[in-house]
Amino acid sequence: MKMLVIFEKTDRVRHVGHLDLMRAMQRALRRSGVPIAFSKGFNPHLLLNFAAPLPVGTSGRREIMEVSLSEEISETEFKEKLRAALPPELPCVAVRAVDDRHPAPMALLFAASYQITIPEGAAPLLAAVPSFMAKDSIMALRKTKSGEKLTDIRPMIYDLQVTGDHQLSCTLALCEAATCKPELLLDALSAEAGLEARPRALCVRTQLLGRDFTPLELL
Amino acid sequence: MKEFSADRLEKLLDTVLKPSRYTGGEMNAVAKPFDQAEITFAFCFPDSYEVGMSHLGIKILYDIINRQPWALCERVFTPWPDMADAMRAENLPLFSLESRTPLRNFDIVGFTLQYEMCYTNVLEMLDLSDIPLFSKDRTDGPIIMAGGPCAYNPEPLAPFVDVFQIGDGEEMMVEVIACMRACKKAGCSRLDTLRALAKIEGVYVPAFYKPSYNADGTLASFAPTDPAAPATVRRRVLLDLDSAAYPEAFVVPYTEAIHDRIVLEIMRGCTKGCRFCQAGMLYRPVRERSVETLLRQAEQLENATGYEEMSLSSLSSGDYTHLTELVCALTERYGERKISVSLPSMRIDSIVKQSLEEAQKVRKSGLTLAPEAGTQRMRDVINKGVTEEDLIRAVTDAFTSGWSTVKLYFMIGLPTETDEDLAGIGHLAQDVINAYFTVPRGMRAKGLRVTCSASTFVPKPFTPFQWQGQDDLPTIREKQAKLGDILRQVKGVNFNWHEPELSMLEATFARGDRRMGDVLYAAWKNGCRMDGWTEFLNYDGWMKAFEDCGIDPKFYANRERGEKELLPWDFIDAGVTRAFLWREWQRAQRGEVTPDCRKGCQGCGLKRFEGVCVDR
Repeated sequence: MKMLVIFEKTDRVRHVGHLDLMRAMQRALRRSGVPIAFSKGFNPHLLLNFAAPLPVGTSGRREIMEVSLSEEISETEFKEKLRAALPPELPCVAVRAVDDRHPAPMALLFAASYQITIPEGAAPLLAAVPSFMAKDSIMALRKTKSGEKLTDIRPMIYDLQVTGDHQLSCTLALCEAATCKPELLLDALSAEAGLEARPRALCVRTQLLGRDFTPLELL
Repeated sequence: MKEFSADRLEKLLDTVLKPSRYTGGEMNAVAKPFDQAEITFAFCFPDSYEVGMSHLGIKILYDIINRQPWALCERVFTPWPDMADAMRAENLPLFSLESRTPLRNFDIVGFTLQYEMCYTNVLEMLDLSDIPLFSKDRTDGPIIMAGGPCAYNPEPLAPFVDVFQIGDGEEMMVEVIACMRACKKAGCSRLDTLRALAKIEGVYVPAFYKPSYNADGTLASFAPTDPAAPATVRRRVLLDLDSAAYPEAFVVPYTEAIHDRIVLEIMRGCTKGCRFCQAGMLYRPVRERSVETLLRQAEQLENATGYEEMSLSSLSSGDYTHLTELVCALTERYGERKISVSLPSMRIDSIVKQSLEEAQKVRKSGLTLAPEAGTQRMRDVINKGVTEEDLIRAVTDAFTSGWSTVKLYFMIGLPTETDEDLAGIGHLAQDVINAYFTVPRGMRAKGLRVTCSASTFVPKPFTPFQWQGQDDLPTIREKQAKLGDILRQVKGVNFNWHEPELSMLEATFARGDRRMGDVLYAAWKNGCRMDGWTEFLNYDGWMKAFEDCGIDPKFYANRERGEKELLPWDFIDAGVTRAFLWREWQRAQRGEVTPDCRKGCQGCGLKRFEGVCVDR
């Protein structure tokens, strides 16, 4: 069986990179005493799948990882054991047992919602939102593995709203076919606002979404 | 005064390298309310997070202080230079990782001194905290303490540190913080607090002592000036290691530390008597932990950390009485849970083949051996009781058991060294390579890798070589070049060496006196910090500091001391007596070996400490 773990990466540890986060989770799983499955091979490791790596500097409210188990265990017992073993800055929010045929979380991923806080210089950016969203096409330089690529990111922005004096909320594409990172959105929005560079922003990924914007953990 | 602000910290974190060095929140980090603790201790490791978090002593003392319900210990590391500069620019004071409290709000700021080249970081950390650097300028605020192996010659740091703790910390630390607590409750003055602390065995308060110097610059006298201060400071010895406190949990870093694993301290001390080795002299006598205790500690730590690796720590793990039993029990218990067990700092004369085979059941790491010198004559001088046959037998066993990566550690600049000794290093490396090829092709692992590492010998206090002059820089460079030529002719060997400048600086501080404090301050003023990191070593800054202070580094590094000279650390009774060390120095120069004291007492002086030295 497999267990979906919904966890938080708090603001304090937002700089912990994905590989370090994975190691922290592997160690927490070892400490927890839940029956984890190991890979075969020379250097055996835990079977652990994350829905999507969180960039360094970004915190997450409902992140998802999938753990392969070697024995059956109830959701309640698993959650209790894991909770006791997690560092305070990576609390477990919920768990859900799925069978082995359940698709990997990464395969179901479609988009993600973010909350973006801009401590200083937010006003021009927030003011540019309506005209920005009215556009049919927004060309932006996307960094890809093969270099920089001019892409129309407008179709990847599903939603963008002003939610406070220093705050934006948005839903952006996040899947293998198309990904728009919050930084890219901020770059384009800053250009729209006539700013030379994007102001410092704190990003929180609030929800991972599947098809039809259903929360990923419910699919 | 700089004020801490979480918002300003967050801003900096987005601009610096490896920000998780500064954010804490790790598994097993202590979470006690700062305001409710009666005594607060900022445990400072004067190097980067990754180095400091690899160190065992900080884990032990962090645990011991936090076990006291009335005390709180939090961790602080030296910010990387980019962060230190950013903090200065933002007026952000240095803060503890747990509660993010500025250092000046703690009762005690304590540094562990693991190597001399971290001393500028001590000044850097005090300065980043708005704490006056010189002890005499501090009228309030935290008491600055220091301990660790370099505290055995505390004098270069004497102007900056209020209280040194010399020796094993397990019991002394509890007495020190209890004394601080009582003084705080009674409302004692700073002076009276220092007087109370000076009465604890192992504690040295430099302000209560005064040195005087001869015309030739050597020390003329060194005596206490306060009735509370003892003429001789006797090092603390922990008698019973087996029942001493040991952490049941380690703080597990997010970002990888240099050594990021469970460490079991199987024993403390070493009886081999290698004459260059300060640790071997300072941590006498040998005290072992029982297999039962170690297995219990391993289980507690595994449950609390989830580490995938476990290592055995001691000065000479091969000499641990129950090594085979322990390694077998550990590999049997943890092999199934995919936890590897590694055995570092093994001496080549005691590698147990069975242990090697047990250890590799899980995972194979490289084999590190330290012959230290290339010829038998040289090894006799340094009393490294290892023969070439021992080494070749050990590596052949290792190659047969599937190892193919071997690191060999050597020193150059040892007393009486000649060209022949350098050539011997080449011969030894060649013999190791030949040993690999004597193992049949099917039995040995592929991809032989032999690395020879040659460090520059630094004479240390409380060793028989404390009187020896270090080779000067041109001599060391010449020897390095010769050795490089020799090893280039041995096919398949990698050669590493260390910057001789760093070893020279280390030598000045290792045997420095109080006047070296001026050089330290001047060097830090010149921008020297993180000196142990090649990319930051500012040699010109150091040379200018010596020049400005009118101090010749050769006086400390390269000068041979005479039998009668008063040494700056002579007021400390470290256990081994000066008479024993002098005797050993004479024997060394004659190339005479001194047997392991387990085979008969060599009269090193430890017997004076009641109950510490057990005849076997």
